[in-house]
Amino acid sequence: MAGCAGQGSGGGGDETNADGKIVLDFWNGFTGPDGPALEQVIADFNASQDEVEVKANIMPWDTLYQKVLTSVAGNDGPDIVAMSATRMPQFADEGLFIPLDDYYEDPDNDTEALATAAVEASMYDGNNYGVPVNYATMMMFYNKDLFSAAGLDPEAPPTTWDEFAAMVPQLSVDENGDGKPEQYAIALADHETVPIFPSLLWGTGGGIVSEDGTTSMLGDPESIEALDFWVSLVREQRAAPVGLNGADADKLFQTGKAAIEIVGPWMTTGFDEAGLNYGLAKPFAGPAEDAVLADVVSMGLPANTSDEKKEAAYKFFAYWNSPEGQITWANGSGFPPTRADVADQVTESPYPAIFGAPEVADSARVLMPGVAAGGPILETVFTPALQKALNGEGSVEDIFTEASTQVQAELDK
Amino acid sequence: MTSTSVAPAPPTVAAPVHRRRLRANGRRTMTAWLFLLPALIILLAFTLYPMGQAVYLSLTDYNLIRSAEWVGLANYEELMQDPAFWNAFGNTVLYALVVTPVTVVFALLFALMLNQRFAGRAFSRTAIFLPFIVSLGIIAIAWAFLLDPNIGLLSYWLSLIGIAPEQGWLTDPRYAMAAVMIVGVWKNVGFYMVIYLAGLQSIPVDMYEAARLDGAGPWQRFRSITLPLLSNQTLLVSVLALIATLQAFDQIWVMTRGGPFFRTETLVMLIYREGFQELRFGYASAISFVLLVFVFILSMIQFGFLRRKQVTY
Repeated sequence: MAGCAGQGSGGGGDETNADGKIVLDFWNGFTGPDGPALEQVIADFNASQDEVEVKANIMPWDTLYQKVLTSVAGNDGPDIVAMSATRMPQFADEGLFIPLDDYYEDPDNDTEALATAAVEASMYDGNNYGVPVNYATMMMFYNKDLFSAAGLDPEAPPTTWDEFAAMVPQLSVDENGDGKPEQYAIALADHETVPIFPSLLWGTGGGIVSEDGTTSMLGDPESIEALDFWVSLVREQRAAPVGLNGADADKLFQTGKAAIEIVGPWMTTGFDEAGLNYGLAKPFAGPAEDAVLADVVSMGLPANTSDEKKEAAYKFFAYWNSPEGQITWANGSGFPPTRADVADQVTESPYPAIFGAPEVADSARVLMPGVAAGGPILETVFTPALQKALNGEGSVEDIFTEASTQVQAELDK
Repeated sequence: MTSTSVAPAPPTVAAPVHRRRLRANGRRTMTAWLFLLPALIILLAFTLYPMGQAVYLSLTDYNLIRSAEWVGLANYEELMQDPAFWNAFGNTVLYALVVTPVTVVFALLFALMLNQRFAGRAFSRTAIFLPFIVSLGIIAIAWAFLLDPNIGLLSYWLSLIGIAPEQGWLTDPRYAMAAVMIVGVWKNVGFYMVIYLAGLQSIPVDMYEAARLDGAGPWQRFRSITLPLLSNQTLLVSVLALIATLQAFDQIWVMTRGGPFFRTETLVMLIYREGFQELRFGYASAISFVLLVFVFILSMIQFGFLRRKQVTY
């Protein structure tokens, strides 16, 4: 049995390949159009030196989260794991990752140049457990043709919640009068998606948990105000269908059945290929704040990583976040680079500049950074409560006041 | 009789014969054990050992990475007060109580219909059996498409007759459970139908002829001959179907992920969520053990109840 343990999938053993290079198995979930860009950077890195070889193992994020723990426990896991920085604290808390603070302390790694939000996203309990792969802000995509058809100016997307609410009656179309619109003002998903709905709580100064991650804010008047606004827009004005997941929302916008969607840069390729005439803008601001949701994917090293592999992985991390690595990545994927100092060198794709524009980056916020219970809170408390409210099973205030005690219970665990 | 000449065999001779027979018996027993060995090893390695391990883990706090920490009955105590557990328990019982009898009744009806001779019989049999052999993932995805509120064919047809669900059947809390139940029945009914078909064909035809000569009508023949003589199949089918429904997971997982807001979350899905998503393998093991005991008790009751009605012929 011992003889075959090291074969194939990397594992805990310090295997080298035929050329004497250390092989690193890199698990990630870039299954979309961003996958080839990732592979390109890895290929460039492998060609740039003769000590380390990185092999990308691309699988859906779902599968990755399911497999990573069992495979690391079985000593047969990845050498480098990428995951949403929001999920990292939970795994760090369980002892899956080792702290990477010494990476940030080494001046050779040039980590000063990285976007602060991208670095801080993977902090947990005073240590940093990840090095950023990407840094994505969620922008407002709007369908210019649908705006024109509704008699609205296709170059003037809504900039505030109230402006948006005023446009809802025009952007929602019920052709046959059956009470079910054929076209919705916005595709706003409530489950299995990047957490757009939760981030809307910031607009009034509310949120799910306090900034220090110790107190639930879900029952605060500001949070209830934001939820009331959005739930009633969906329920009473039919601004969006109820029960959408992320893929449904993308589909709705892509097929011209929704005028607006708030989503990340990875959808640009798909919408371009669908021939959609769309514009990009900073999402409409709430009455109190104009926070923009940012999602960071970070790379971590499993608990059983040897010093030798750690050193090899650090070389790859440094290359990934180097100017040349980031220019290739941003050009190929449409993501803004993790470092602002190369922004003007990203010229092949217009999107990195838009998603990484200073006024967007300045408003960027990560959802529940450093909260170990962040994943469970989102999936087992917030999302079910939201679905209840959207289905009219109680008042927004009652539902979220109760959910708030559950959030607090998760935080106190 | 020749026996008198054989009977007075001296004891000195009988002893080795006896010993030889013993040795032969022992050898036969050994052979039996050897034949059983592979099955026993598999049973031990893949059923009994994991079962014991699960019981042990249910008494610990364990996340796969750190070593298990003994917590005694704490997981079970938490379980009893956990609304998520009772919600999943309620959903599982509801699902099993509806899907099991409906599946059994439909399996019997289809078997009776498809036991007749008519054009298209083979096609109908295949059509009903087919869902059982298709991968569950594919079936669940296909149904999710059919029921999709925007692009779903079934949703479209239903809208033509005035039933227009604004949100998907699977995301509407009023219909989600019913939708996964219907697919659950549809998926498995063919398998149980085949068991019933086999049973129907083993009933001697002359019994029906005799009954007909005695003036028994179709309903009477069904009540007095078919149903009693199928009781073995009914026992098998009901026990199998009940156990399967109590363990419902994959199809519902792909179709709804337990949503909306846990309306369709079953016990096995909760086990999966607690274990692989919340990384609480001790707690998940405690739920598994409770489910195991529950399935065992229900199966025993069912067995005891239906066995009294069993017939042999």
